[in-house]
Amino acid sequence: MMPVHPKAVIADDEAPLRAYLRAQLAEVWPDLAICAEAANGREAVAAVEAHKPNIAFLDIRMPGLNGMQVAEKIAASCRIVFVTAYDDYAVDAFEKEAVDYLLKPVVKERLQLTVTRLKAKLAENAMLPDQANKWLRHLIDQVAASSSPPFLQWLRVQHGDGVQLIAVPDVIYFQAGDKYTTVITASGESLIRKSIRDLAAELDPNCFCQIHRGTIVNLTHIDKVSRSLTGRGVIRLKERSETLTISRSYLHCFKQM
Amino acid sequence: MFDMKSYAQPPSFVRLGRTLLYTAAFNTIIALLLVMVGFGRPFIHTLLYSQCIGLTICMCVVWSLYAVRNRGVAARSIAVVAALVLGAIAGTALGATFIQLPGDPIHTKSMYLWQILGISILFGMIITYFFHSKEKLSATIHLAQEERIKRLSSEKLALEADLKRLQAQVEPHFLFNTLSNIVSLMDSDPAKAKTMQMDLIRYLRTALGRIRDKATTLGQEADLIRAYLDIFKIRMGERLQYTIDIPDQLKELPLAPMLLQPIVENALLHGLEPKIEGGHIRIRAEEQGGIVSIEISDSGNGMVDHQQPGIGLANVKRRLAQLYGKQGALVIRENQPCGAVVVVAIPVEERI
Repeated sequence: MMPVHPKAVIADDEAPLRAYLRAQLAEVWPDLAICAEAANGREAVAAVEAHKPNIAFLDIRMPGLNGMQVAEKIAASCRIVFVTAYDDYAVDAFEKEAVDYLLKPVVKERLQLTVTRLKAKLAENAMLPDQANKWLRHLIDQVAASSSPPFLQWLRVQHGDGVQLIAVPDVIYFQAGDKYTTVITASGESLIRKSIRDLAAELDPNCFCQIHRGTIVNLTHIDKVSRSLTGRGVIRLKERSETLTISRSYLHCFKQM
Repeated sequence: MFDMKSYAQPPSFVRLGRTLLYTAAFNTIIALLLVMVGFGRPFIHTLLYSQCIGLTICMCVVWSLYAVRNRGVAARSIAVVAALVLGAIAGTALGATFIQLPGDPIHTKSMYLWQILGISILFGMIITYFFHSKEKLSATIHLAQEERIKRLSSEKLALEADLKRLQAQVEPHFLFNTLSNIVSLMDSDPAKAKTMQMDLIRYLRTALGRIRDKATTLGQEADLIRAYLDIFKIRMGERLQYTIDIPDQLKELPLAPMLLQPIVENALLHGLEPKIEGGHIRIRAEEQGGIVSIEISDSGNGMVDHQQPGIGLANVKRRLAQLYGKQGALVIRENQPCGAVVVVAIPVEERI
């Protein structure tokens, strides 16, 4: 049974876009009541919990929680339509998973199609399909995989009276010291408290390689790897004049070269 | 032997002319030498003889090299020697038709002829060898130069393409979002929609138009950023505040186009947009000891340990290195109490 007075929540951090979608919906689906608007992810979750709408229109890029994260929290209680400004990787995922989505600016004909579909779904079954959570989980995993790698990306170093930030890809190599670890970049050296052992666990292994008990080198800054007369590996760097020695126990990493 | 490669094609008239001229000069020197050592007199006769023989040898060698252009080194060497001898004989005969050789009981005419032939072949070989090494040398230099030009031009092309690509980054998400906002505002607030559209035009004109411009100024870059931030101000509303503070004397500072915009974009996308309460962006510039520091600070989320550094910042860093070498610098600091500060330092003496 289709609810007599269907309700919806609109979540978008940009006020003009919320107002526009509201106006468009009023034309295409006059019976639909917009019970709340939300300007960020947290407000959206709160609004859904407070108003129990049938449908939530969620912007993908929102402060607080993004549209995907909101969807994960509320998918059990209402139908979701994603709204996005740009035809990016998410839209591919939507297509694959047959998720409802709208591209901004919302075109009336396209909105009409979505509304027709929503009406049909609401009418045929007030209950939400069980798969909802499965595809959402899938989507979120996909987006998470493509957005933030779990590796360390920024280092904080004390500099004068402030904290300077060094982008990890700019680091040429790390060298263990007595108490601190020295970070060597093209523009100089700095000290951090993190140990080589901790760094080895946190750095992207595709980019950084431990070559000695106390040394981790950034592979992208290596100019040349050669063998010394004694059979040790010697690394020549692009931006530094010193050479680094690969100790025997780590030589296997370079064996294929 | 002349350079084999360059004579593989029919020699151009200019080249042939030049070769003949050189040969004629050599012939004159040979004639002078002969007269000085007492062989052949008067000078004018010796000169005529020498020219006849020299030029004939030259023509024969050039022609023979062209004729055997597709053969191996051995065949070409034999051809050149044969041409040399033939040319010497023909030249001697030609000379003899013009000038009567002096004849007396002791030195017969045929003795003279043999001597002339011997001298001709000897000098012919020396001169041919001279041409051969000269051509070889110039060919080597030419090749090295060509190589150098090729390398330099490809480096330049790569660099230009690189710069263009870096400058032409108008983020599609930004563009579509802004256009959607304009459409959304058209009915409800036409004045605001118009302002936003004008800002977008202003931004795109600089962002895309500057690809062709070599250099802009700090003042122009600030205008571009103002237009960009005004667009975000409509979109984000009260969540965004900004101040731009650039002293008048620094507004004319030459600056590479789109050098600062990616930093502002980064501050918005990673610092302020994801933050619920939004925040403030502040841009200021100052000069100290020939170095201009431009500081872009925000009160956003700051750089999170595991958040990937924006491609924009890395590009700015690369461009600074390309444009200013060691004198350009980009430093990122933590802002207090929150957010990030990016400082770009460039020398006043611009090298764009």
